[in-house]
Amino acid sequence: MSLARIFRDHTQRRYIMFGGKGGLGKTTFSAATAYWLASQGKRVLVFSVDPQASLSDIFERDIYGKGAVEIIPNLYAQEIDADSHIKAYQEEIRKKILDMYGLDQIPEEIESYIQAAAAEPAMEESAIFDQVVDIVVAGGYDYYIYDLVPLGHALYYLSMASVYDQWISKITALREQMREYEQMAARFQRKKELQEDQILAELQDIKYRIQTSSGILTDREKTAFFFVVVPEEMILIDTQKAAGLFRKFDVPISGYIVNRVLPDHLLQSPNLPEYLRNRYVMQQNYLDKIDSIFGDEVLARVHEMERDVTGLPMIERLAKLMFADGAA
Amino acid sequence: MEEEQKRTDWLGRIGRSLADYIYGMATHESTRFALKTRGSMEHLFILITMGDLLGVPILPPYYSLRLLPYVVPQISTWKRRMLREKDLTDALA
Repeated sequence: MSLARIFRDHTQRRYIMFGGKGGLGKTTFSAATAYWLASQGKRVLVFSVDPQASLSDIFERDIYGKGAVEIIPNLYAQEIDADSHIKAYQEEIRKKILDMYGLDQIPEEIESYIQAAAAEPAMEESAIFDQVVDIVVAGGYDYYIYDLVPLGHALYYLSMASVYDQWISKITALREQMREYEQMAARFQRKKELQEDQILAELQDIKYRIQTSSGILTDREKTAFFFVVVPEEMILIDTQKAAGLFRKFDVPISGYIVNRVLPDHLLQSPNLPEYLRNRYVMQQNYLDKIDSIFGDEVLARVHEMERDVTGLPMIERLAKLMFADGAA
Repeated sequence: MEEEQKRTDWLGRIGRSLADYIYGMATHESTRFALKTRGSMEHLFILITMGDLLGVPILPPYYSLRLLPYVVPQISTWKRRMLREKDLTDALA
């Protein structure tokens, strides 16, 4: 099986995610995949859900907080600026309170709650989570590539989605029940018009947003989740563990991509240093192991490059390696 | 013609008052109960969405903030009530 073929066989998979431990090449693969798809004429948005995003670095352009920026025709990249999003959001809440009650100042107690809430550790993640909904709901692209956070964080993100999901369903149900009592009283009093419950309307909107976001993460039809591994023991063990956990959250794992593989031609070099030869042999060992564990779920082996993958020419080279079509 | 109109109005009013009276006897209690239940639920609702205001940590503040504008008027009565409420063990002690 090859990566190019997976994309050709499953054109309905529009949400592409790369997961893996930190520093293994998730951003690189996200960028390269976006580049490849764009060069096939697809409109692609690659965006980062990581507060420490590095899409700006890989594309060598400052895109932080600037919305979707066109990199080359059909290829757009976006880094969410959670901080300014939160600030704007707080301001929106304040304005709403002032407008609703005709106040010129936010009551002290309320203001301190607004500030305390924004300082919560989960706030940044929640804000990004919420922005992702705006991005995917807005539409306009054939593919959405999520440049994900490292594994532990991604798991947190997933569990957050399912906790939010349960939380919102419970409160919405409670609010609906409250509405029923209100309606009952209104019927007894023979009131014709019952004011719309704005809180219920907000809750239903929040519920829709959360379920859209968490729904995508577990959608077998439309989502493909790829794990990035490198041929090293620790990474292999962690990846297996993580894959198990991801399966528990119903994330559709579509395959594994091996990064940082030392190229075979190294061996032909007559004066290959012992150090490199040992690394090569070690890697072969783990590559065999990877093949025996993941079998034909291994979709690509990507060479270690002679330099960093930054800038479009390097991304293009890497995309060629990733999507080199062996099988199909 | 005008006389006729007046009489119908008057009869209509009596009819409506009578209906109100009967409805009142039959449903006043139920209405009170429904509103009271809704009131208690309102407090529960604010507790689980705005618990942070009382120091009860509740997930997730990002979305709580969106509801904040709507509960602003209730917050002071709610806090008073939550802090006043005692359970059975208080009475026994």
